[in-house]
Amino acid sequence: MQLTTHTTPSGFLLPSIHAAHAFFTEQPNPTTQNTFVNNWIQLILSYARHRRLFVIRVEDAEVAGGDWDEILRNERINRRVIPSYLTSLISAMVSRDLAYYEPPKQSRSVVLLWRLPEEWADVLHSWGTATGQINTILTLYEITDPPVPSPLSGIPLSLLRRAITVLTRSGRAQLIGVADGEGVRLLAGGK
Amino acid sequence: MGLTQSAPKITAQDRAVLDLKLQRDKLKQYQRKIQVILDREYEIAKSYLAAGDRDRAVIALRRRKYQQSLLLKTDGQLENLEQLVSTIEFSLVEMSVLHGLKQGNEVLKEIHREMSIESVEKLMGETQEAREYQLEIGNLLGNQLSVDDEEAVQEELRQLQVQSTQPEFRVKLPSVPAEQPVAIEIQDTQPMLSREARERVPVPG
Repeated sequence: MQLTTHTTPSGFLLPSIHAAHAFFTEQPNPTTQNTFVNNWIQLILSYARHRRLFVIRVEDAEVAGGDWDEILRNERINRRVIPSYLTSLISAMVSRDLAYYEPPKQSRSVVLLWRLPEEWADVLHSWGTATGQINTILTLYEITDPPVPSPLSGIPLSLLRRAITVLTRSGRAQLIGVADGEGVRLLAGGK
Repeated sequence: MGLTQSAPKITAQDRAVLDLKLQRDKLKQYQRKIQVILDREYEIAKSYLAAGDRDRAVIALRRRKYQQSLLLKTDGQLENLEQLVSTIEFSLVEMSVLHGLKQGNEVLKEIHREMSIESVEKLMGETQEAREYQLEIGNLLGNQLSVDDEEAVQEELRQLQVQSTQPEFRVKLPSVPAEQPVAIEIQDTQPMLSREARERVPVPG
């Protein structure tokens, strides 16, 4: 069995460990399992960064045809990650602060933090400066779904709210609420 | 830093603008929904035709046409909203420009109050008197100093004369050729080859 890297159809380079049979099984030995968990977490986060996916759910391992198939399944060696293994990986990520349960109080779906809220806050602020939208009122929907694709397209609302909280603390944004919904105004404050 | 409020206050106008933008977002989402229905009805009509049910297909297409007209109407409303939003934003900009102009005007008036015309005229007159006084003093002093100046000038002239009589042997320029130069044809094919041969050698890497 030769361990090689493999490029997926979406252009993502899978590491050679992904071609190992044992990688897809939960190991009894804690040392090996720890290494595997580290590798899995790195793989999941970098894939999410590559495809700009924000959420991973346990059902992505249960049903085929989702966004995560290229990672969670390896057709060439006929192996896949079983849902219970994915659940343990997810809880490992949450305990390392690399993801959080969203909606809260359940353990089946998480939002991945391949970028920290502080970094998202910076991205949001620089996007606002680049599009000349400082000091204008923006709705949250306008940020997650702009007519021109931006680095923030598709960001889940909870993550966006966290980023805005970070900006409010440094005086670079203001959250405004009306009866119908919420909006934010980006301010030009320096860091 | 303390509790200094660095963020500007949220005025009622801001809330109004936010309201308008939220309405606009709702319209956009509604448009998306209609578009989804349109596509679905199209597929339904196609499947009915494939099954041979022409009447049902026609009904599906009619439904689709109605949805399309709804889409057009919302397009018009969306345009209205966007226009209103941009007008409001523009008038806010105008207001801040006006405010800036007013402030600038105030500052200018303050400066003019300090710089009255009479005080400026008095200042100019005093400067003129001081300048004339200085010229007088300069003339007085100038007559005394001219004697010393004359001695220094004579000394400089003597030094220059000594320098010019020394022979210059530093720079020797070549003489101009007396006859026209003749072109001698050396065998220049050989050097070319060696140059080319040198170019063909690959660089060891």
